[in-house]
Amino acid sequence: MSHASPRAHLRARPPAEPPPARPPRPTAPAKAPRRRARTPLLFCAPFLLLFAGMYLAPIVYAAVSSLYAVRRSGLGLTAPTRVFDPLANYARAFQDSAFTGSLGRVALFGLVQVPVMLGLALGLALLIDAKSARGKGFFRLSSFVPYAVPGVSAALIWSFMYSTQSSPVNRLLGPLGFTVPFFDEDLVLWSVANIVTWSWAGYNMIIIYAALQSIPAEVLEAARMDGASALRIAWSVKIPAVRGALVLTAVFSVIGSAQLFNEPAVLQPVSAGAIPSTYTPIMSAQSAVAAGNYPYAAAQSVVLALLVGAVSFTFFKLTSRGGSA
Amino acid sequence: MNLTNARRAGACGVLVLALAAAGCSQSTEGKPAASGKASITFWGWAPGYADAVKAFNASHPDSQVTYQAVQPGAKGGYQKMLNAVKAGNAPCLAQVGYETLPSFAAQGALENVAEHAAASKGDFQEAAWKSVTLGDQVFGAPVDTGPMALFYNKKVFDSLKLQPPATWAEYRTAAERIHASDPDRYISSPYLNYDYAGLAWQTDAEWFGVQGDSWKVSMASAENRKVADYWQGLVDDKLISGAPMYDQAWYTGLGNGDIATVVGAVWQAGVIKGGAKDGAGQWAVAPMPQWDASAPRVGNAGGSATAVLKGCGDAKAAWEFAHWLSTDRATYGALVDKAALYPAAKKLLDLPQLRKPDPYFGGQNIYPVFADAAPKVGSEWTWGPLMTKTAADLDDGLGKAWAGKSTIAGALRTAQDQTLAEMRKQGLRTAE
Repeated sequence: MSHASPRAHLRARPPAEPPPARPPRPTAPAKAPRRRARTPLLFCAPFLLLFAGMYLAPIVYAAVSSLYAVRRSGLGLTAPTRVFDPLANYARAFQDSAFTGSLGRVALFGLVQVPVMLGLALGLALLIDAKSARGKGFFRLSSFVPYAVPGVSAALIWSFMYSTQSSPVNRLLGPLGFTVPFFDEDLVLWSVANIVTWSWAGYNMIIIYAALQSIPAEVLEAARMDGASALRIAWSVKIPAVRGALVLTAVFSVIGSAQLFNEPAVLQPVSAGAIPSTYTPIMSAQSAVAAGNYPYAAAQSVVLALLVGAVSFTFFKLTSRGGSA
Repeated sequence: MNLTNARRAGACGVLVLALAAAGCSQSTEGKPAASGKASITFWGWAPGYADAVKAFNASHPDSQVTYQAVQPGAKGGYQKMLNAVKAGNAPCLAQVGYETLPSFAAQGALENVAEHAAASKGDFQEAAWKSVTLGDQVFGAPVDTGPMALFYNKKVFDSLKLQPPATWAEYRTAAERIHASDPDRYISSPYLNYDYAGLAWQTDAEWFGVQGDSWKVSMASAENRKVADYWQGLVDDKLISGAPMYDQAWYTGLGNGDIATVVGAVWQAGVIKGGAKDGAGQWAVAPMPQWDASAPRVGNAGGSATAVLKGCGDAKAAWEFAHWLSTDRATYGALVDKAALYPAAKKLLDLPQLRKPDPYFGGQNIYPVFADAAPKVGSEWTWGPLMTKTAADLDDGLGKAWAGKSTIAGALRTAQDQTLAEMRKQGLRTAE
């Protein structure tokens, strides 16, 4: 009906008649802009509400509660009280060797694991993108599959692979007189890194691969015409072209490293003490919750968030400066 | 004008959030409904609780209990309960393990129901009653207890012509014989947190105590040292398996004879049966090995209460259900079958379900062993106010100690120091 009526209107209008008066514009402006301003707000409202309620409110709540200290007295059989003492929890966090140790651990983890994983992802993406590659669909899918395995399940599978009692890896290596002590205190961080790399390399590869797809064919064609080898094209054309994707995946991976939790938490009970309950910053915050000290957990989370924010920001700054030079 | 709109939208948003918040914090829990019926919610996870609640509702027309299954305590259930208490919408009743009750009390999350409950003290075994009280406050009804015994693989013991050890000295001899017979065979897996606590409990090597209005922490006491050094000796001689308890490797070991004993509570019967199907017919139960055979003592591991949470509007009705759940014969009989619970109530100790031979244990009726053990459980044991944290700290050290990288005594010492430090940080009073 709605699309038939204007035509009927056109046909019915006698050509000689003067055009009908335009809608009364001059009286409208008072209302129309207001309506125009309201509409986007209405559309945004569901998002804004959820964003405020589910995202901003908890952050503000955590930040505010980190400024209080839990106080109990005597046997503590009544509800604890909170005293406003803005620096107490932060001072404690920086003196807490378990917490600062966990920060150092994830920093080291990120420094090593992120470049290794992204190097692998980039290499895979370039291989699958190569003109001569066969079975692209298969390799793309199979390297992406680990990402589809939920983090906890992946860690459980790997804990079986690592376990001193069941490790099939060590069973194979055993006859050669060589075993890998996956739960050795110095090695366990890299056992965790291996799980994370296994889970996420394919995911990052897909992002980089998608970026490779958007390189204009004529650019590659031109490079080939100039006699550039496949390796040379990859190095001088493709990698610079996916720079944005690399920066993005790097930042995500850095944040992921800082929030390391699933893998070490799952391995902890079978790690023969190599993974303590405060192994990563989030596990450390959890252990403060276990002690009933929510504000201290909040302070640790705030410190972690600020550090991650600072690192990501610096990383973006550095890489974008490099890009313009 | 844009500003007004933004402001209006903002006001709307605030209103919605406020309404949502109000909706969350409006608790009607335990307040009599319009019909005059007491309405109570109960959070728990033990298999069989849902049916027990149905039976209660059928037989008590003037009460209405709603059961909601939650994750087992250590897997998130306790956190959910504490959060609900904080938000003011907690249920009246919750399943809480004895070891966690004082931590709940120290968070102000429990309701003192001594007024209604004190008269029922005599219905329960002494150690169980002690577990739900602190001073003269009562926080709920004890449901089950975890008297300990020795689960052993009879087939392995018979093949080496070994008798189940009656003392810890004999246990060590058996450990050597078993490992000597096959390098893959060990007498036991390592014990962590509350399973380890049961070993200490046997010698009354308390970890915590209350002295006036101060907490005493004694995890590194001389008595604890004795237990720690005994097991350290077994570790040093490589007589303990590396398979962590409740891990797949442990179940495999229980099934194929590589792990020959479990010193554990009555409910381990259900765990072993369920997890190590290959061991069917091979396992048996004997009394817990003794330090001094002339004065037998037994430890306790686990057991839980139906606790009344803070904010409950009808503590009387809540207590009534909690007491009924712990003492009703027909209901408890079903819980024995479904969850291998061992009653805390004295008059339930002769339930017919506790007299059945079990084919998994070679046709042995295992419950008399626990019935003998229950009265020998020391009733002086007290759990600390930050138990989740203490247990995690202890496990960090014990994990290394069992792997031979540090000592059990050191783990206890570190856990004690860390617990004391955290207690003092929060302002709890501690006694030296």
